[in-house]
Order: sequence, then structure tokens, then C-alpha cells
Amino acid sequence: MTLPPSAATPLLELQGISKTFGSVQAVRDLSLSVEEGEFVTVVGPSGCGKSTLFNMVAGLDEPDPGGILRFKGRGCHAHELLGRVSFMPQRDLLLPWRNVVDNAILANEIEGANRAEARAKALRMLPEFGLTGFEKQYPHQLSGGMRQRVALMRTFLFERDLMLLDEPFGALDALTRTLMQRWLLDVWQRHRRTILFITHDVDEAIFLGDRVLVMSARPGHVKHARRVDLPRPRAAELVTSPEFTALKREILEAIEEESMKSFVASNGAVAA
Amino acid sequence: MNRGALRGALGVALLLILWEGLARGLALPSYTLPSVSEILLSAWTTRQALLTAAWFTLAEALAGYAIGCVVGIGIALLLSLLPPVRRGVMPVMMAINSVPVAAWSPLLLLWLGVGMASKIAAVALAVGFTVFLSALAGLDRVDRRAADLMRSFGAGPLSILWRLRLPTALPLIAAGMRVSTVRSLIVAIVTEMLGAYGGLGWIIYQAVVQIDFVAVWSAILVASALSLAFFGLVGVIERRVIFWRSS
Ligand SMILES: Nc1ncnc2c1ncn2[C@@H]1O[C@H](COP(=O)(O)OP(=O)(O)OP(=O)(O)O)[C@@H](O)[C@H]1O
Ligand SMILES: [Mg+2]
Repeated sequence: MTLPPSAATPLLELQGISKTFGSVQAVRDLSLSVEEGEFVTVVGPSGCGKSTLFNMVAGLDEPDPGGILRFKGRGCHAHELLGRVSFMPQRDLLLPWRNVVDNAILANEIEGANRAEARAKALRMLPEFGLTGFEKQYPHQLSGGMRQRVALMRTFLFERDLMLLDEPFGALDALTRTLMQRWLLDVWQRHRRTILFITHDVDEAIFLGDRVLVMSARPGHVKHARRVDLPRPRAAELVTSPEFTALKREILEAIEEESMKSFVASNGAVAA
Repeated sequence: MNRGALRGALGVALLLILWEGLARGLALPSYTLPSVSEILLSAWTTRQALLTAAWFTLAEALAGYAIGCVVGIGIALLLSLLPPVRRGVMPVMMAINSVPVAAWSPLLLLWLGVGMASKIAAVALAVGFTVFLSALAGLDRVDRRAADLMRSFGAGPLSILWRLRLPTALPLIAAGMRVSTVRSLIVAIVTEMLGAYGGLGWIIYQAVVQIDFVAVWSAILVASALSLAFFGLVGVIERRVIFWRSS
């Protein structure tokens, strides 16, 4: 499962990307690259521009002029990525008038796929996502964890080379969360997608990722990139191993420094 | 819901009893306020004419209502897809909408004649504007993040309109359609009073001319029964269609 050293061109490459909203610079001079099949996790203090980064890679927001954005080796504008990456936003955004299956096939329907076929495919995927028997339920009838799995299923069914997951487990309790992490690794290993994954949780970032990117306080850029050389498949006990703990200490230090900066900055702003 | 209906029915019954008692106790002349029993009796003896008139008015109101809803929602969809056109058209729309029904009804009679067409047009205008404005407000209520998600799936404006904005707007559209039920009957009746070959408004007008106040009241009774039934029916359909809001 180890990755081939950068022989092929990376799937996604950003160089010197910035994004300004009015007077707020959310992202400054951000560079990163993601190899095909890689699972990259992104951690960073709140408000450092992680979601902004995703919005640009999903094609929803155009970065400030000057940076370079390459997808599959070709330079492109952000909007050209619309419909080409599989994006899961921070909130599940399920449509309340659609049941589980119809929410899951939303992207396929938009693509113009045959609805009956898409439904059949979604029905076959239900057990894998722990949703057996819930196909006819509506979002308001589901628990938070289930809603999140429906949103994940929607993202998986939209079969694109790159998946962007923005804190998919952020709202879940600790137990459900570890179960979902193991489950996601399992699904990822079987479907072989490239994943860029935002989280607040350092354990989660290390447990899941081939690489962990630590972002700086706002304006965000990649401050520290750390390869995670832990063997796969990863078992739950891994979290208590010395290698894991050492990695965690290193990454926590980097984050804490940045969190302090943004904390002081925001407190300063409040005091001023 | 059931308790609400029960309480409503109780309220109406109390009012009717009070009315009956007042009219009899004070021995009011029927041109001031006839008693409820008098009205019911008159309505029963003239039921043939009342039913024909009610059917006539209902047909006008329903036709105008249907046209108004379709055109109102249609224009709202169109304008929400074309923001520049919308900015140009809205002031004109608001200007037309600010003219009261009573003012354009005579014009419609002059243009379309005394038959059903003028009533249908008046109702369609009144209903159309109400539904149009509520639909437009509903279509604007879209969740930007949900729209962004759909764009990331490659959805165009039409697809987002159909799959997200229209369903999001449905509760407001339905509310507009519900208040329009009562309005459609009022406008049909008022326009009939200005000139018609039949209908409840025409009966009321005739009865006023003949100073037959009991007949006026029995026509009003039938009209409000019709309004209530129409309002209730649309309310029931609304709760069925917009199921995701009620639980
Ligand atoms: N559309 C926008 N308009 C104006 N400012 C914005 C917009 N989007 C993001 N920002 C600002 O950019 C900064 C970064 O926001 P972003 O949502 O990317 O942070 P984040 O790292 O995802 O935070 P969190 O971890 O809390 O989700 C914030 O200060 C935010 O206020
Ligand atoms: Mg975010």
C-alpha cells in the first residue's frame, strides 16, 4: 500500500494560491500536491482557511490571480473543476424532501444518469454504509451519524478521481467517530480513491492519512507536511503505539503554535 | 389539528347562538340583522337558485385561480432565472399590483364583457400576483451552501432551480396559494356585483336592489361556506405535498 515515489504527475497541485474576501485574506501563498491514490489529511486552527481551500479545489471559488492550479497535470481555472471532483461540505446538506436513496443519487441524477440504475446501485451500497433498511427514510428521521453516512454515500456514488471531505465526522460522538474512521479506511482501500480530508482531530489525521498537512493560522498555508509511515491496514491499537505517539507530539506542537497565534490574534481583535 | 378544528367549530356555534339570541331578544328588523334561523330557512327555500349561482361563481373562481397560480409561479420561475430581466420588470409588476381590485374590475368588464371571462380575468390577476410574490420570495430563500454543493456536482441553473430552489420555495408558494383561495371567491363575487348574468355576487346585487336583506344574508352564507371549503381543501393538499415540514 505504500505509494510510488513521485514518478507520475500528481493528481492535484497548487502553487502560490491565495484567496481574499474583501479585507480578509483567508489563504496566502498556499502550495500542496496530492498523488493519485493518496489519502492526505489537513489539520489547522479554526478559521485558517481549510474550507476556503476546498471551495477552490471544488471549483466553487476562484483563487486570487497569480497562483497555479493543476489537475491531472494540466493547469486550469478553478471553475473548470466543477463536476470533476467529489465534494462533501462541512454540513451534510441532505435535501429534506428526498429519502435516503434519492439523496444518495443526487449527483448521479444531476449528471443525467438513469435514475432506476442509480437507485439500484445505491441500494446495493446500503449495507456497506450501514444503512440497510433505511432506504425509504427521510433525513429528519435519521440520527446525525446516519445523515453523515448518507452524505458520504452521495460523495462516493459521484465517482471522481479526487474526493474532498470537509470534517465528515466532526459532529459525531467519540465512539461513532472511531468506528466511522475504521470503516472509511476499509471503504477507501476497496474503492481506491484519492482523498483530501479536513479534520480538527490530530489522532484522526494520523490514523487515516498517508500524509498530514498542518496549516498555519490565517492567512492559511501549509506550514508542515508530515509523511505517516505506519503500515496499512491500520488497526485500532495503532493509536497507542510509540510511533503514533511520537508523530502526534510532533504534529500537535506545530498546531499548537499556530492555534496560539490565531487565538492571540482574535483576542487582540476583540480587545481592540 | 383536530383540536384546532374542534375549537373553531365551537367558536362558530357560539357566535351563531349569540347572533340568534340577539336578533330575537332585541326583535331587530330583518334589514338590520335577520336571525340565523330566518337566513337558513330562506337559504333552504331558495336553494335551487343559490346552488346554481354558487356553481357559477365557483367555476369562475376556480378557473381564475388555476390560471393565476400557473402564470404566477411560471413568471416567478422565469424571472428568478433571469436576474437582469427581473430588475427591469419588477417595478412595473409592483405598480400594477398596487392598483386595487375594485379599480381594475370595471375596466375588465368593459374589455371582456359582462360574462364569465371578466370574472376569471379579475380572479387570475388577484391570485396571480399573490402567488407570484410568494413564489419569488420562496425561490430567493435558497440555501447557498446547498446550491454550491449542487454546482460542485456540475449542476446548471435550471437543474438547481428544479431540484433545489423550487422544492425550497414550495412552503411559501403553498402559503400564497392558501390565502388566495378566499381572495379568489371575494374577487369573483365583487366583480359579479358590478355586472353579470349570474353568480352569488349577482344574487346579492339583485337582493339589495329589491331590499331583500334575508336573501343577501343567505347568499353571503353560501359564499363563506364555499370559501371555507376551498381554503380547507387546499390546506389538506398542502400538508400532504409538503410532508417534510409537518414532522
Ligand atoms: N465567502 C466568504 N466571504 C467572506 N469571508 C469568508 C468567506 N469564506 C470564508 N471567509 C473567511 O475566511 C476565513 C477562513 O474561513 P474557512 O471557512 O476557510 O475556515 P476553516 O479553516 O474551514 O474553519 P473551520 O475549521 O472553523 O471550519 C474566515 O475568517 C472566514 O471568515
Ligand atoms: Mg471549515
